[in-house]
Amino acid sequence: MQRVVVLGSGDGGTFTANLLASALHDEIHGGSASVQLIGEHLHHPFQPGNLDIAFKGASPDKYVKEETKLLRKEVEFVKDPAMKIDLVAKSVTTKSGKVIAYEYLVIATGAVADPSKVPGLAEGALNFHTGGKDSQRIWESLQTFQGGTVVVAIAGTPHKCPPSPNEAAFMLDELFQKRGIRDKVKIRFLTPYPRPYPAEKISHVVEPLFQEKGVEVTTFFNVESVDPVARKIYSLEGETFDYDMLIAIPPHHGADVVVNSGIGDQDGYVPTDKGTMKVKGQECVYAIGDATDIPVSKSGVVAHLQSVVVAHNIVSAIRGTRDVLEYNGRINCPMEVGERRAIFVSATYTSPPSDQTPSLVKYMMKRSFAMIYWRALNGSLERVFDVFFGQTRFPARQGGAEEPLLVVKAPSAGEKGA
Amino acid sequence: MIDSRGSFCPGPITDLFKAYRTSQLGDVIELLATDPAAKADVTAWAQKSGNELLDIVDEPGYIRLLIKVTKKRS
Repeated sequence: MQRVVVLGSGDGGTFTANLLASALHDEIHGGSASVQLIGEHLHHPFQPGNLDIAFKGASPDKYVKEETKLLRKEVEFVKDPAMKIDLVAKSVTTKSGKVIAYEYLVIATGAVADPSKVPGLAEGALNFHTGGKDSQRIWESLQTFQGGTVVVAIAGTPHKCPPSPNEAAFMLDELFQKRGIRDKVKIRFLTPYPRPYPAEKISHVVEPLFQEKGVEVTTFFNVESVDPVARKIYSLEGETFDYDMLIAIPPHHGADVVVNSGIGDQDGYVPTDKGTMKVKGQECVYAIGDATDIPVSKSGVVAHLQSVVVAHNIVSAIRGTRDVLEYNGRINCPMEVGERRAIFVSATYTSPPSDQTPSLVKYMMKRSFAMIYWRALNGSLERVFDVFFGQTRFPARQGGAEEPLLVVKAPSAGEKGA
Repeated sequence: MIDSRGSFCPGPITDLFKAYRTSQLGDVIELLATDPAAKADVTAWAQKSGNELLDIVDEPGYIRLLIKVTKKRS
């Protein structure tokens, strides 16, 4: 019996479990393989929707679905948080005390946004990285905001969705314009990076737009602390700014289960091979998405593309072929820049982001992704994504199978995950 | 010593900030980088923040930067 256990029921974990269930359909029904997904939550959020909740007043309910409805029927969903991973015994212990053995393990436990890591941040700042409810608090606060200084600050790196702080500033500008109070509001953007967006080519787009919209940028601002009473934010470098409303991207770290199992780095991220996605030093354990220490964007697209590689490589290992794929570092992060325009931050390990021109088409593509996200989780859109993303993986060695082992079967009508 | 070799922007400067966060005044941080942008980024940060860039050395295949922490809010 080949037991595949996937930890974490976010984008990457859900998609990986579905891909494996599809590819191993015959083995699962024949009793020679199983796919279990261990997750903490019954509800699955579409996290990019947090921006719309915070700055456009969307309801959090719009961006949530029940996890079991997103999974193929061959996936066994275990709603029981994982507490400990034992790489020697090849098992996972859950909160209720279950010990679940595996032959193959996929760690997709994500990253945790943690305002408590900066003194005063939890008390003094709002944020849209800790869930829909906290995002809704931003929208509620904005309803009574009549003027003053709004500070958008990056209080730790790396963080989920790298373009989201810039998008927040653009969306605030648009909101205050619509409300007719833009002249009463100063928007200040504080970033630890040398420029408004870390990648230079993307900053070439963002910087003039920020200037045009009157967003004031301070670079090299590493947040040291926040005084929620005096409403001040301090940097390690010695600068101080006042605020009337502070929206901060909290520092992130790896999941507790990774930290508690002693398999993370100093920030709790799993040391991972950036090509095969294997956990370093492990033959049958993989990590994907925000959980890894790989220096690429922490985003759903990255988790999605890595899932394809990992599912392929596990299926290949189970079937005993020598066909291994490697992820090429492809990222594709959309960024709204206001006035119904967007750009895509696209790159690979070897190709940095290129010049971009904001467009309505890219904005519409970003918006449409929110609608197809749920279908994307069952794998039925992979052929479309392959065309859109281009090359995202390559064979790790010569002589690999020309036809992919991972053939995604669309769920039949009425089947879960459709 | 922080080894950011193989990491591209903003990797090296981000790694430097992690070290800066836990450093004490007077500490010298040694940063190794292959990303050529690290030179300009670290130089600009040192100038703005008032910290001291002691040296930039072009080693075979990488850059070695030495930064002395001379200013930090405590």
